[in-house]
Amino acid sequence: MEYEEEGLTRDGLKEEYHHAIARKIILLTVCVLGIVLFVGLLSLSNYEGVGLKETYEIIWNHILGNEYPSKSLFWWADRYIWNTAFPHALAAIIAGAALAICGTMMQSMMVNPLADPYSTGISSGACFGAICAIVVGVSFSSVTGEMGIVTNAFIGAMVPALLIVFLAQRIHMTPATLILLGTAISYFFNSMITYLMVTTDADTLQSAYMWQVGSLDGMSWDSLPIMAVVTVIGSAIVMLLSSKLNVMSLGENSAISLGVDVERFRLLCLVLMAVMTAAIVSFTGIIGFIGLVAPHMVRLVIGSDNRFVAPISMAAGALLLLAADYIAFQFSDIPVGVVMSVIGSPVFFLIILWQTRKAGAIY
Amino acid sequence: MADEKGGGDILIEDTRDGFRDEYRSMNRRKAMFILAFLLLAAGAFFLTLGFGIYDIGVTDAVGVFFDHLLGNPIDPKDDYYVWDVRVPRAIGALLIGAGLSVAGAIMQNDFKNPLAEPYTMGISSGAFLGATLNIILGISIVPFISGTATTVVNSFICSLIPTAIIVLVAKYRNLTPTAMILTGIAVMFLFSSITQIMMVTAPSETMADAYEWRVGSLSSMQWEYIPVMLIVTVLITAVLWFSSSKLNVMYAGDRAAQTFGENARGIRVSTLVLVSVMTAVLICFTGTIGFIGLVGPHVARIFVGSDNRYLIPTSAAFGAAFVILADTLAKVSGPNGLPVGVICSMIGGPLFIWILVRQRKSAWI
Repeated sequence: MEYEEEGLTRDGLKEEYHHAIARKIILLTVCVLGIVLFVGLLSLSNYEGVGLKETYEIIWNHILGNEYPSKSLFWWADRYIWNTAFPHALAAIIAGAALAICGTMMQSMMVNPLADPYSTGISSGACFGAICAIVVGVSFSSVTGEMGIVTNAFIGAMVPALLIVFLAQRIHMTPATLILLGTAISYFFNSMITYLMVTTDADTLQSAYMWQVGSLDGMSWDSLPIMAVVTVIGSAIVMLLSSKLNVMSLGENSAISLGVDVERFRLLCLVLMAVMTAAIVSFTGIIGFIGLVAPHMVRLVIGSDNRFVAPISMAAGALLLLAADYIAFQFSDIPVGVVMSVIGSPVFFLIILWQTRKAGAIY
Repeated sequence: MADEKGGGDILIEDTRDGFRDEYRSMNRRKAMFILAFLLLAAGAFFLTLGFGIYDIGVTDAVGVFFDHLLGNPIDPKDDYYVWDVRVPRAIGALLIGAGLSVAGAIMQNDFKNPLAEPYTMGISSGAFLGATLNIILGISIVPFISGTATTVVNSFICSLIPTAIIVLVAKYRNLTPTAMILTGIAVMFLFSSITQIMMVTAPSETMADAYEWRVGSLSSMQWEYIPVMLIVTVLITAVLWFSSSKLNVMYAGDRAAQTFGENARGIRVSTLVLVSVMTAVLICFTGTIGFIGLVGPHVARIFVGSDNRYLIPTSAAFGAAFVILADTLAKVSGPNGLPVGVICSMIGGPLFIWILVRQRKSAWI
């Protein structure tokens, strides 16, 4: 009878458990439906007579391999969707999903709500590489032109990651020292970036700043395979590791006593995250917000079990970036990262206000 | 020492004395660190008077400084460059370093998070929004102000909005530290995205101006700014220092604080307000100078540990010394001079990595 008062009856527990599962399923469904909707909206071309329904029809037919008669209206629409809209949408989905899952991993691993994929200085390293290419015209490799920026950014992103892995073997690595190391490294690279940016002329500064803000414009089929392969493999590994991540988020001592080789696991996670983030960031620029906020949004709704947070936050991140990309597409001047934080932060704010203790978040 | 039988009492006495001695010598060592950093800051203050565009040696400049203080007659040109240009800039550097470091120490303590800094609650994004409103759109929030004062007033007002929102939310909702940080993140992203919209749509020239404001520089320091900065920084630092024992309890966690009879949430909100006001006053004159607010307290922590009675003064002294030295380098670096924030992170970043690698025991668990 005492238990009943505290709401811990068997039926009550069962009901609560079902609620929790329902919440996870609903959230995942909403995200997936949202992604499908926005892929359609993004593919909506300006041709008359091709509405949203016809767009899905064209996509479906393309997947099935049905071709339209050459130079007909639908043929043109098909070409537009396949060559322009789809790479764009896929890039948004891949980038959003990858950054969100990296953020989930970092936050659980570091036991710190302020951690995000960029906490280890990967973003500033990438930015430094890209800005070297844009401002000074220095290429770290033999590749030039548009791809020169990408390779520069990738190489730049690897520097902080390698530095951390190298230093981590020399010190006793607690999450705090690791995160501070990352911060110190990113401050160093940021200062170099700022140095290059304040000494250059105003126009170059603007184009460098645009890279820094991040954008999905100009995504083509060429850039997708690398992003997709790295993201799929990486997130599969993260999902396999998610129960270990749960243990890590209990704190270092508990994790050790539960049989996790904390230091090696952390190193593995760091390398994994570095490669995933670098692969995304070098193509898109520094898209902020998702990596930090998408996992929090998901956690506030469904609790912090990483087995569910990891996949659902991937869907949520993809949806966020895709929706922002669609809106940014309407105002062609504004980069996607900006749109995302304009819309995303009030939503995040409301979720924080709305969150009740029942949601089971660890906060 | 004593033989095995019957020596127990003496041994306990011995160890008790030993502990006491050790504790005292530890505290003496901490005080020595504070003194050393203070001396360093004072030395750097005189050193920096000798650097700048106008050609005057360090000893001459210090001479001019004391002559002005004593009222002796001086060459007006010397007087202008040393007393009216360099002294306010040096004082500004000391205040910025001390204030931001203390603010960072308090934030890290309040939220028990090594990544917390004065800007965690969105102060910098608010200030930057206010500044860009004026620099790019030419809007003044308070009517009847024009010129550079507009940027200052705008950024001051806007920088307090995020804190106001958080305090308001904390009043009606039971916010845990993490929820407060998350609220801060939400507000910060909202503000900075509005700023970014302005930045990317602005013509490249004004965008460069706004970018320069964000990077932060001490080159526009004037005597008029000093009184406000000085009074606010000294007063708030003193208040925080006198309540350091309460802040220490906060570090033990909210539950522990409650058992000690302290209202952790109340302390957190009130220190947050104090820190925000101090940070806002400092950065509205200079732009958002980064690095020192995050790293200053960490360096201090490595030297004296996390006890706020020592941490607050050490952070202040170290921050002041570091920023004024960085600003001296900034002045040497060229005719236009690199922004002080750039120098801070360029030199401080590797230095901090070295300190982190060298330290035996982590100051953070």
